[in-house]
Amino acid sequence: MNTPNQTMTRPARGSELGPILAVLFVALSAALVGTFAGLGHEKVIAHRFDFWFCAALAGIGWVARSVGANKGVVIASTVLGCFVMLTCYQEPLVRYLTLGALLFAMGVFGMSKSRNAVRVLMSIELMLNAVNINLIAFSKYVDPVQLKGQVFAIFILTVAAAEAAVGLAIVLSLYRNTSTVDMDKFNLLKW
Amino acid sequence: MLGTLLASPSVETTLFYLLSTLAICLAVGVLVDRVVIRSGFILIGVFGSIAGIFLLLSAQFIALAQVMIYAVAITLVIVIALMLTNPRSESEPLVKEEELPPPAAFFRSLKNNFPLWVSIMSFVTIYVALTGENHWPISTEAAPIDSVKVIGEQLTTTYAIPFEFASVLLLAALMGAIMLAKNDKSEVSAQTEASLLEAKKAEENLALSR
Repeated sequence: MNTPNQTMTRPARGSELGPILAVLFVALSAALVGTFAGLGHEKVIAHRFDFWFCAALAGIGWVARSVGANKGVVIASTVLGCFVMLTCYQEPLVRYLTLGALLFAMGVFGMSKSRNAVRVLMSIELMLNAVNINLIAFSKYVDPVQLKGQVFAIFILTVAAAEAAVGLAIVLSLYRNTSTVDMDKFNLLKW
Repeated sequence: MLGTLLASPSVETTLFYLLSTLAICLAVGVLVDRVVIRSGFILIGVFGSIAGIFLLLSAQFIALAQVMIYAVAITLVIVIALMLTNPRSESEPLVKEEELPPPAAFFRSLKNNFPLWVSIMSFVTIYVALTGENHWPISTEAAPIDSVKVIGEQLTTTYAIPFEFASVLLLAALMGAIMLAKNDKSEVSAQTEASLLEAKKAEENLALSR
């Protein structure tokens, strides 16, 4: 039986992937820098202090985390600081869209990082909610007469309900067959 | 009264930052908390604050539907699934990495945090696209007083076929969920009978030893 504070050592699995992923990371950073360069060098580097502020916040959070601060507090304060800094000078529509993008990114992170299958489903619900925020913000600020965004939000609610029911039923039957909900152990469909 | 109060920009800004702070902090809690069932309950708070944001955006119908469907129904299903699935491993075990030389450890941390890089990159990409040169065509037309009426008319006229397909989708998903989650008696019964017999025997032994 697993006790809550059990620690275990994972073998160095797939360590040959490290250099490849590092190269991929460098390529992604180059793409990001390229995006900024496309916007105009002076616009991003000189006048966008918010990006530098966010990078500094992330560095402070990293230092605090390596000193030994609480993980959740560090992540929440860093994300909140970046969010406020990125949105406080924007118009209202962009604020709502940024909130949706932030929740969507957090859902992507949780979906690919967490090992519990039910938590993966929770992250998917979070992503669907972020999409709903986007749609309703657009329906208020861009299309306030016909409200098409709200109609699409209703469809997304329906699909989310169906997805939750089917996903949790799959998790239940998997648990009944394998007595685990660990995503790393679900390898039935591996070739 | 409430509408005029919400229409003033400072009130809306204050409420927006209040609700989004709640939503972001609780979403971090959902992702980070090591006890899964606690994060399932925190999810109710996330959905509730997002419903508040929908109210700010003057989408009353969607806000109430959000509270009913997400904050009650889906969270209830998730919590019940957690109660049915988690044996003793409610907390994910801490993974202790083995010692490595610094460059290998650096690459290891890059690899292990790959979802983090992907999500940060996606957020930055979306944000740069949002705040680019081209501005959104913000409309200044007055919103309809009865938004539910507008939505209902569109659902029954323009979007009638997707609406019907959504009902078919719900029916199919519910039937599929029932089929998937149904306990197959014939396979399980042999095992459960054996385990029941063992449990009964152990109980008798315990009673005898007293």
